[in-house]
Amino acid sequence: MSTYDRNTRKRKGTRQVRRKTEDVKGLSITSLLDVLTIILVFLIKNVSMDAVKLDQLPNMQYPTTITTEKLMDNAMVTPVKLYLHEVLMGVDNQFLGTPQDLVENVETRATMEAYLLAEMSQIPEDKWEEACLVVQADAAIPCSFITQIVSVGTSVGYGNVYFATIEDADWLRTYRSASNE
Amino acid sequence: MAVYRPSQARQQKGQTAPQEPNLVPIMNLFVSIIPFLILMISISQVALLALNFAGDEGGGGAGSSGGGADKEEIVQVHLMLKEHHTGLFPGMEIREPGSTNYTKIPWLAENMYDFDKLNDQLISLKEKYSESSEIAVVVHPEVLYDTLIRTIDLCKANGFVTVHYRSPKNVYIY
Repeated sequence: MSTYDRNTRKRKGTRQVRRKTEDVKGLSITSLLDVLTIILVFLIKNVSMDAVKLDQLPNMQYPTTITTEKLMDNAMVTPVKLYLHEVLMGVDNQFLGTPQDLVENVETRATMEAYLLAEMSQIPEDKWEEACLVVQADAAIPCSFITQIVSVGTSVGYGNVYFATIEDADWLRTYRSASNE
Repeated sequence: MAVYRPSQARQQKGQTAPQEPNLVPIMNLFVSIIPFLILMISISQVALLALNFAGDEGGGGAGSSGGGADKEEIVQVHLMLKEHHTGLFPGMEIREPGSTNYTKIPWLAENMYDFDKLNDQLISLKEKYSESSEIAVVVHPEVLYDTLIRTIDLCKANGFVTVHYRSPKNVYIY
């Protein structure tokens, strides 16, 4: 049987019904792309590429300030975290001791000095002016501990000391109402 | 004799319907970049209060040595916590250069400093010393960090942008 005959019989034997098909249009994702582009621009603008992210630390109550200053450009940051019961140094949160040790223990101060010296030695000489010590301390810490850190930091060569705070333009008003109660 | 343009239909070539550019690869790129950026973004970033200890113009001054400007020539704000027979009292004291009349601002309650009064004093001091932008904050060891930062903040907010951080006495046991 030839191919022609086979096809003819097939056509004659069963009736083929072809459904009406509508042209399915592709989903327009142009508007979605617009939204994503806006989000992308916003994220790129706000994302911090710094080696040190100065995020709000958990379990730490920050003091509040009206004024706020930006970290200097190309800053070489060494963070120091002063909790009520421990002091952590650097990006890698190296345990130094308790805040009390800063005042009472000679070895703790020596360790802190050695650590800060090591951090300074990693900074190129032409960038020493951009060396920043960022103190993130709990609001309830006595200032004697802060003074120790600032003293050691400046003696090592950190010319810029930043204190981490939370911006609150109304803290004076809040404080006033709290003190009146 | 009239000249007729050739038929436009003759000029037209076979046209296809305009196609949308394929945006799927761009979408894929976006969808992979955005989660990374969201991870890296820090929404609740902390604010910063700066003290500059570098050079002669420095706004700092660690310990009792000072950071540049002469101690006697700038206004000093003393922060104290304990009462002492030497004249210390819980509260704040403003010492103007060349004056022995110190403005005392006792605290309102325990660890409640009168920042309102300090603010008023700083406003009038700024009017008096309009050319100066320097001030020294002398903080006693027991005073809380919160009090120090609030004081520095008020100084900066009232135009004393260069704040010298000092402590009355430092004892180093090395």
